[in-house]
Formats: sequence, C-alpha cells, structure tokens
Amino acid sequence: MDWKSTEQASMERHAPNHSTSTSSSIHATENTVWADASPLLETVCKELRDGELIHGENFNLYAAMSALEIMDPKMDSGIINKYASVDEAIEDGLAPVPISLDKTVDVQCIIDIIDQLLACEATWHKGHSLAQTVFSCAYLLRPERTLSHALLDSYCKVIRATCKAVNSIVSDARTHEEEDLFTMAYGLPLNVEGDEKCLSLLNAVEENISRQLRACKAPPSKRKLLEDIEPLQNNFDLEEGYCKALLCRIRFRKHFCHVLTCMRRPQGRGLELARKHIASCISELGIILKSEEFLMSNAYGTCEDGTEDRTTASGHQAIGFDASLNSRISAPTPPRSIKILSWKKAIEYFENLLHHLDIICSYLLDPSLDVLLRFVAQFQKAQPDLVARVHLQLLLVQDGKLYGRYPILAVIIRAARLPEVIMRHDIQKNEYVVQLGQIVINMLKILCTNAAWQRRKLGKILQDWRAIYVQLELAFRKEFGEGSSIANGENASAGILKHILIWVEEQTYWIAHRFLVLGFELELYSPSEYCMVYWYLYVVLIRLAEKTHLKMTVSDGSAKQKGKKRKDSPKDLAREARIPPAILFLQCQICLAEGLALLLAALRNELMVLQSPSPFNSEHERFIQHFELLQKACIPDLISYPSFKESTSHARFSSLVMYNYFKDAQKIAKEVKNSFLNDPDRLAELCILEQVAEHNSVAVNVISRVGALDPSLKVSFEFIHHPCFATVVVKRS
Amino acid sequence: MEKAQERERKEEFDASEIEYVSYGGEHHLPLIMNLVDQELSEPYSIFTYRYFVYLWPQLSFLAFHKGKCVGTVVCKMGDHRNSTFRGYIAMLVVNKPYRGRGIATELVTRSIQVMMESGCEEVTLEAEVTNKGALALYGRLVFIREKRLFRYYLNGVDAFRLKLLFPQPELHPFLPMMADRDAAQKHDDHSPASEEFSELHRNL
Repeated sequence: MDWKSTEQASMERHAPNHSTSTSSSIHATENTVWADASPLLETVCKELRDGELIHGENFNLYAAMSALEIMDPKMDSGIINKYASVDEAIEDGLAPVPISLDKTVDVQCIIDIIDQLLACEATWHKGHSLAQTVFSCAYLLRPERTLSHALLDSYCKVIRATCKAVNSIVSDARTHEEEDLFTMAYGLPLNVEGDEKCLSLLNAVEENISRQLRACKAPPSKRKLLEDIEPLQNNFDLEEGYCKALLCRIRFRKHFCHVLTCMRRPQGRGLELARKHIASCISELGIILKSEEFLMSNAYGTCEDGTEDRTTASGHQAIGFDASLNSRISAPTPPRSIKILSWKKAIEYFENLLHHLDIICSYLLDPSLDVLLRFVAQFQKAQPDLVARVHLQLLLVQDGKLYGRYPILAVIIRAARLPEVIMRHDIQKNEYVVQLGQIVINMLKILCTNAAWQRRKLGKILQDWRAIYVQLELAFRKEFGEGSSIANGENASAGILKHILIWVEEQTYWIAHRFLVLGFELELYSPSEYCMVYWYLYVVLIRLAEKTHLKMTVSDGSAKQKGKKRKDSPKDLAREARIPPAILFLQCQICLAEGLALLLAALRNELMVLQSPSPFNSEHERFIQHFELLQKACIPDLISYPSFKESTSHARFSSLVMYNYFKDAQKIAKEVKNSFLNDPDRLAELCILEQVAEHNSVAVNVISRVGALDPSLKVSFEFIHHPCFATVVVKRS
Repeated sequence: MEKAQERERKEEFDASEIEYVSYGGEHHLPLIMNLVDQELSEPYSIFTYRYFVYLWPQLSFLAFHKGKCVGTVVCKMGDHRNSTFRGYIAMLVVNKPYRGRGIATELVTRSIQVMMESGCEEVTLEAEVTNKGALALYGRLVFIREKRLFRYYLNGVDAFRLKLLFPQPELHPFLPMMADRDAAQKHDDHSPASEEFSELHRNL
C-alpha cells in the first residue's frame, strides 16, 4: 500500500470538515488561531519519498497502533455510515412516530422494537458499548419525539432508567478492565428529565392494556358495556395475542426495574423482596418466549427467515435502529461493527442473570468469613457475567463493612476464632491490624471479578498478605517481649496477635490454593506441566490444612498440643478420630494431588512420556514462570525447584501401587461425606472427589500392570468429573 | 471467505524448497502486510508495521516458496518496566495452504534465536484462546501460558499471554552469558508497558 496516497486521501477527506469546525464548534482563543495547514502538509508530503516514515522520539508502539488509516474499511467505520447525524437519520424516516398509521402494524412494530432492545441490552451486558447496542435505537436518542406515544414513550423511559441504574452499579464497583467499555456513555441521553416517572407511566400503560385484554375476552353479551374501551389495534382476532405479548414484555421490564432497586438497598435489606421480583421476571420471560409462535405467524410484510440469528420474536427487522448512529461520539476510536445477540440468546442471558442474582439474594449474609468465601467460590463456578458479579461485590462491601453491617475487624476476629470482647481491646488501633482490614476488603472485591483478572490480582496480593504477616509477627514479638516482663505473665495483645497470625497464614494459603486452582479453569497448564502443578498444589494444600487445624486447635484451648501439632503431617492426623471434617475434606484433596503428581512423575520416569524438551530452556525455567508469584511471597517457605525434583525423580509405579494415594482419597471422601449432610455444595464436591479417586485408583493398577509392556497404551488426563483434579484415562491406541 | 480457503487444496512442496530470509527492506513490506491482513483478526495500520520492521529488521523473517511469500514473523524487543529485557512476537502468519509443515516453527525459532543472542531474558506474545494451531506451536516451543486476558481482542475472544523464559545465569552458573547485553540495549524503544499495550488492542 502506498502510504503517501493514503495520507493524501485522508487530507482530502478532512479538509472540508476542518473549515466547518472552524466556524461552528471550536473557537480560537487569545493564544490560538485557526490556520490552514494544507499547504504545509503538501510540501512535507512532496519531501517524503515512498516508504519514508517520520519517526519522533515519542512515536512508540502505542502511537503506531493508535493511528488509523482513513478509508480502510477495517479501521474506518465512518466510511460505511449511512447517516451523518441522528437528526439526518430521523429526517430520513428512520424512526417515525407513530410507527404506522395502521394500529395493528404499529403494535407489531413496537413489539419488535422491544425485542430488539432486549437483544441490544444483553449485548451491552456482554461487553459491548452502550452506544453501539441499546442506543443504536433512534427513539431512545430523542426523548421528546416519543412523548405523544404513551406506550413507546414509557418503554423508552424505562429502558433509559434501567441502563442508567446498571451503568451506575458497574461504575461503583470499579472492576477495572471489564468496565471500561461498559460504562462509556458520554454524549448519550442517560439522564433524561421525566425518566424517573417511568414506572408510573408504564403502570398506566399496563393497566390500559389489561383492560383491553379483558374487553376482548369478554363474552359478546357483556361486550356492549365495555364498548367505550378502545381496542389496542383494529384486528379483533389478533387483539388477545397482541395484548398478551405486550403485557408480558411490559411486566418483565417493571419487575426487572424493581429487582435492580431492591438489590441496591443498603445492608441487603431488599434482597427478600428482590427474590419475588426475580421470580416474576423469570415467569414473564417464559411467557415472552411462548409469544414467539403467535408473533411469527402474524408478522406484517415479509419476514426474515426464521433463522437463529434473528433479534426479534417475529423475525422482522425492528424499525428505528442503526448501529452507526453514534459513531461520531464514541471515543476513543471509531467502533467496529459488532454482532447483536439473537433474541433467543438474549432471553437466555437474562434467565442466567436472574438466576445468578437469585443466588446472591438467597445468601443469608453469614458473618463468618469461611462461609462467605465458600459461597463466593461456589457462585463463581456458575461463571456469572459482569452485572451479576458487581451486584455481589457491592453487597459484600458497603461503607468499608461486610454487607454494610459488620466492621471488617469484627469479621477478622471471628475468622481468627477470637471472642468478640476483643473488639473493645486496643488491638484494633494497631496500624497493621487496620491494614489487614484493608487487604481483606481488597481480597473480597477481587474474588468477585472474572476468573482471568481474579487470578492475576490474587497472585499479586499474595505479596501484601506476606508483608502484613511479617509486620504482625514483628509486632507480636515486641508485645510478647514486653509482656513477659510483666509480673502476672499475661499479655492480651500478644495472645490476640498470635491468633490473628495463624489466621493470616491460613488465609494466605487459601488465596494461593485458589490461585493454583483457577489456573486449571483458565486452561493455563499444559499436560507436561501437570506434574509440577499438582505437586505445588499438594504442598500448598498441606500447609493450608496445617494452618486450619492449628487455628482450630488453638482456639479450642488445647494449647498444650500446639507445639507438637505443627510438625505432625496431616496424613498421620487423618487417622485420628478427632480430626475435624473440614480438615479431612482438605486431606482428601491432598491425597488426590499427591497421587496425581507422583503418577505423572512415574509416567515420565518409567515410560518417558509427558516430557517436553526445548531448545531454549529447561523445566526449571517453566517452574519459575508458573510459581514466581508464590515463590516471591515465600509460599510455602523453603520450597523450590530442587525440592520438586527431589520428591518426584524417584517416583515408580511399584511404589504407587504399594501406597495408593487414590485409595486413601476415596476412603476419606466416603467417610467424611456424612459430616456434610447439611452442606450440599461440599457434599457434592466430595462425591465428585470420590468418583475421581476411585477411577484413578483403578487406572494406576492398570498402568502398573501393563504400562511398561504395552507401548500402545495411551494415558491422558481429562477434566471430565472435576475442574481441577484430572481423571486418568487409559486407552489402547 | 473462510470456507473458500478451507476448500483450497494443500500446496504440494518439499520443505527444502522453502527459503527463509531476514527482512531486507521496503520491498518486503507489502508482502508482510498482505499476509497479515489476510489471516489475522486485528487490523493494523501501516505505522504499526513500519514501527516494527524499521526498528528491529533483524527480528523479522519471511518465508518464500518459488518466489512467493508464504509466511512471515514480525517482532520487537526492549526494556519491559525498566527491569526485564524482553522480546515480543507481534505477528506470525503462514498462508493457509502452506500450514502444518513447520514453516511457522522455523520462522519463530529464528526470531527467538536472535532475541536470545541479543540478550533478551524472556519472550512473550498473545494468542487467541481459540487459535489451537498457534497454541500447539508455542506449546511445542515450551512457552507457558502465563495469564489469560479477558476479552482481549476486538472480536471479544480471550487471549493467553504466552511466555518463554530463557535460562538465567544465576540458575546455571556454568553457562556463559548469551550475548553482550549492552549491544542489545541500543534497540531500546521507549515502548509502553505490555499491559498498556493490551489496553490498546482492546480499544482500537
């Protein structure tokens, strides 16, 4: 491509625009004047030879990539613009009011608009800009034009109000990278006077249509009495169908609006009521889906084929939409064309969203951090989208308190299993304890973000947790030193700090565990790396179990044993009857992780599979890359690549069969299930772990019997049962 | 478009017929641009291409078959956050009928080799999570998937940030330094941090 000709083309295109903007929009100030730069540019262009590039100091990759080539259809969305402005589009008849003088057609068109708006809204929620989705509707952009049409006007108002509400909740949550496109709304009429009345207007419209529906369903004898009610449209046979199709759409909107309002009430006070509205929304969505058949069979004019891509129930293209309407106000660069979700997919999206919101609303706002963390992890398994996740985040952290109810220090004290009277102690003024409160809040917010972002941030905050641990430990030593000089030998601060320290360590390992597990969900590990990942997971789980157990032991007052406990391996502990179920739950995973790590190691050592030689580096570098963030935060202490090699280089099938870790895991899962009858999530998890363990136990036996003899044996690791603990699949190729 | 290409038959050729050349000047630029435009989802302006090939011509390679350009790789290197000297693979493309024969591996291996010799400590790139071919290729070169980038591309698809760490002298005390680092520093480019770069991809 000839760069010079491109440049000239762009200048020619810009020249007339420049002269108009001089006169109309940007005025010269005291220190500036408008000047025609065309002759200068022309001279410069003549000086440049083909292929030459002006390279300034500040022309970096960012600048290079920000440059757009005018008239290149891949970059310049302006060249496919149909209209120069919204007004031009309206003058051209894009969005007539009323849409048709034929009342039946008018109603049909409004239903199409409503459906298309739903598809646009779902597309917006899924990560596209408001300007290209919902506000591609010209009716929304010119509020004054719809005033004469009660139905259209009230519906446009409720859409704008909903967008405003959702936009504000996402902005408030500040979830970084996801929101940048989402909340970009400048130049769009989101704050229209009168929109706050949308619900009462919509109610009036709903009431009217209900009356029309009753009128058309009334037996002929009574119909006379109702004659003063003007029907919705002219075709009596279709009256009932259209009234119903409109009613379910209007009612869905109404309830959805209420859901958003209820969920934003402080301290979760509106959650119960929100659930009722969520149930209504879901049932109206069902009715909307059922109206499809009626709408398709009576659609006016010619229809698109009943393809899956259609954005309305009727299959007819909605009137009043143009995706490029806002291309001139959509910064920072012209948007590229996007694909609006289909009507069916949009309904599916809203069903999912409502289901996820319902999970949030049914949560009992438990003051225990343990319960909360399990709830959030479970919630995230459903892979909720941004709008559901920000609702959770804003519920969890309000005014620096948990659910806006419990001071964060009270939550920590509870989590560390200290008595609540501690809240009156001076310890809460300790600057590191205050900082700890901040990093707990930070962690809660991170846990509500999408899995990709969440993992990156969790990896980073491990440093903070490590740093606060070190600080608190110093404070503890200081207190303890001072305390021991006191005659009565009691030092409350030191005791409290000790509890908090144990809990901080436990929590740090919990984060590290989640960091490793999310790597599986995000598909960050390749089979040749599974061995080191399971080994690391095993090491982290061991420490997590140790710390959790220590916390329980210390708080139960069995202080005598605590020095010894630390050194006991949880494997031995598991055999003792008094091991708490929560620890056994971890123990089961420890066995699975260890079993998988050693099986993978044995496969490499004996069958020479799953090795990946590289011309550029060794496994050592891969180890550093994967666990760099954990290693930096000393999680765990004294763990490094040589320790991994040491524990895996001698793995053999013969010893794996002798000591079958999977059998242990299976046994523990089976035994401990009874302790979780009241906890359906963990019970379900245990059942899956048991299944994986049983399967893998058999696989180990098969491989050790025939593996070395049969070169055609293929062993693969698949996540068919559990997202993180692989099922070992053995096949003959 | 996609379908037409799929139906296109695989080109018959011998691996020895492929000729690899380092970027040789302006006459190579249209060849690179045409290939990338055809095959990659992201639209790049001519400034982007020139930015790479003018500053790091030694890191760009082209593959020719009987005079026709069938593959290319475009890269850069520089200080990342003032701490790591990092190579970056910006574009790697092989014409569809020529895929699956090791051309991309050869191209990218040559670039990585130069990066290593120039004192890079690591090499990174981004690839769409749906691009199985690229992921397999970099997997064989033992790039690890460092992180997943949510909806990184304009088409809404997630990306993986892939990374290859070169052996560090402190880990292998007997290895000599790969190259004189000062020589490499000449190519410092004041480039934005990689995270900023990713924002850029998303917003363009």
